[in-house]
Amino acid sequence: MNFFDNLALGFGVAVTPMNLVLAFIGVFLGTIIGVLPGIGPMTGIALLIPITFGLEPTSAIILMAGIYYGAMYGGSTTSILVNAPGESSSVVTCFDGYQMAKKGRAGPALAAAAIGSFIAGTFATLVLMLVGPAVAAFALNFGPPEYFSLMFAGLTVVTSLAGRSLVKALLSTTIGLAIATIGIDLQSGVPRYTFRNPELLDGLEFLVVAIGLFALSEVIVNLCNMNQAVQERLEIKGGLWMSKEDWKRSIPAFTRGTLSGFFVGGIAGAGAAVASFVSYGLEKKMCKYKDELGQGAIEGVAAPEAANNAAAGGAMIHLLCLGIPGSGTTAIMLGALLMIGLQPGPLLFVQNPQFVWGLIASMYIGNVMLLVLNLPLVGMWVKILDIPLYLLMVFIILFSFLGVYTMNNSVQDLFLMVGFGVIGYFLRRLDIPAAPIILGMVLGDLMEQAMRQSLMISDGSLAIFVTRPISLFLLLLAVISITNPYWKYIGIGWRKLFGRSAAA
Amino acid sequence: MSNDVKENRIASVVLLLFSATYFAMAFFTIGQPASKQILGPDAFPKAIGILMIVLSAAYVAQSFRGMSKEDEARAALIGADEKLSSYVDVKTVGIMLGLMLIYAFIFERLGYPISTFLMFMAGVLVLDRRHLVRDAIIGLVISFGLHFAFTFLLRVQLPAGPLSWFGL
Repeated sequence: MNFFDNLALGFGVAVTPMNLVLAFIGVFLGTIIGVLPGIGPMTGIALLIPITFGLEPTSAIILMAGIYYGAMYGGSTTSILVNAPGESSSVVTCFDGYQMAKKGRAGPALAAAAIGSFIAGTFATLVLMLVGPAVAAFALNFGPPEYFSLMFAGLTVVTSLAGRSLVKALLSTTIGLAIATIGIDLQSGVPRYTFRNPELLDGLEFLVVAIGLFALSEVIVNLCNMNQAVQERLEIKGGLWMSKEDWKRSIPAFTRGTLSGFFVGGIAGAGAAVASFVSYGLEKKMCKYKDELGQGAIEGVAAPEAANNAAAGGAMIHLLCLGIPGSGTTAIMLGALLMIGLQPGPLLFVQNPQFVWGLIASMYIGNVMLLVLNLPLVGMWVKILDIPLYLLMVFIILFSFLGVYTMNNSVQDLFLMVGFGVIGYFLRRLDIPAAPIILGMVLGDLMEQAMRQSLMISDGSLAIFVTRPISLFLLLLAVISITNPYWKYIGIGWRKLFGRSAAA
Repeated sequence: MSNDVKENRIASVVLLLFSATYFAMAFFTIGQPASKQILGPDAFPKAIGILMIVLSAAYVAQSFRGMSKEDEARAALIGADEKLSSYVDVKTVGIMLGLMLIYAFIFERLGYPISTFLMFMAGVLVLDRRHLVRDAIIGLVISFGLHFAFTFLLRVQLPAGPLSWFGL
């Protein structure tokens, strides 16, 4: 099938009334989630997964992708108007966005954020469409050893950028892998870490862990200090539209933000939050008006907002073409798809073209819907912040219980979820990132399977992972991503050993 | 010594113990399969266990010696998460956690709508009781609304509890 046939197929799937409605519900709920403080895209998707239980896989992922994009859009609104980022990827937007709003330029700031997100989202979707099939076709040649190395590299690269401390992030990944080993080993039928508990034979559901770690821990964090000062909300004065000058300054920033976000956040797997930080750093170096950054320069809004959406789109490429999540949010989506019984990966393009292209088409549609939803209706979204914090917390508790219970009809899962909520709180306090746990959990089983299949091919020799070129390349990538912060020490040690000549 | 450092030290030691337990359990609690395999069910857990021990040992070392300058520079670059304030309203958190456990306990026994309404009202009473009537109405609508939406619209079964006597 050629390109246009694929696209026609995709729009044929996405433009059915049911899927259009779902895309709309997705971006709508997503925007709410983005606006609400504390509930980021990960929590939002985890909480809303139960809604997708009755849906077809295609409809389910259209809904989830809508939520994902919507949350990325919505986060900027509160950054700009309240100086309270809705999620971690819009922290940077506060710097200049809030300053712009203070100067009465909230309208152009919101417009720059929405338009930047739209451009970046469309760009990422376009790249997915153009290179996706090629990447998938290439990945079809992968055997189990390549897959193992790919997952290994994916885990290390993504987590090496996930948190502020490399050790903590990697430790968090291995905890996720350890949780994945709970339950009956599918190849030998031997139970592992089940503590004679029959309900653990199936293993821990990733949703129990995810909702506990993200949603409930957020509740606990807020409960710890309910009397936080309410921040002043700035009014939108004047028009929403950007002036000619704004456009002139924003377009290069959009471009830089989109590209850096796409490659750093998406392809390299650093995630949306890091992407936004990196693009802001880039603006500080490259932007013509760098002295104004931090005091309300429009570039400071345009670039990071483009970057975080481009990163979200880039992460979808990993998920769809390789079956490997490139971010915490896509890890949750992968887990949800596995629950529905769909294994994302290169075979999808061949076996389920209507799924892939339907999703791509709905991503275009969702981006347009978001632009329409966000610009004229921005006043409505801000009103959501009127929901008192205590009610919001109680709602999150109710939805967490509902989501976890409907998955397996198990009360034990509810207790486990509360336990993971407490663990999640301590992880937050200790600055240990929780997202890698989910990545490890979702990939753990797949990795173990790939490893065993590889060793069956090689008759037990581990050399198979380094004698195959693609596998070797991926493993080297993993090693580089973990060790690069320490390379400096090698240089220092070298100089100490061999005197100053090496340094010169 | 600041609280933060102390907490990290305790946590790192706890994680090291946890890793060691996980590793040891891979030897003692995982049975052997009936047929011989190239990679038994205990191989992967053992590998993860070793990794966990190495990493948590590194965490212990870091928390007792302090972070290197390199790591701090890295943290500043990536630093998206702000630190949590160390103030904790232990009473509120404790009561709410207790309520959640009770909610889980009565979830099936009293059924979804009733237990959810009770949880909602209890939460409101603990956190902010200035708008009781308004919140009671919201609670009723939410608990029964969600129940009917899930059972009749989404066709996802929720426990009806005593309400099943009325055929709901």
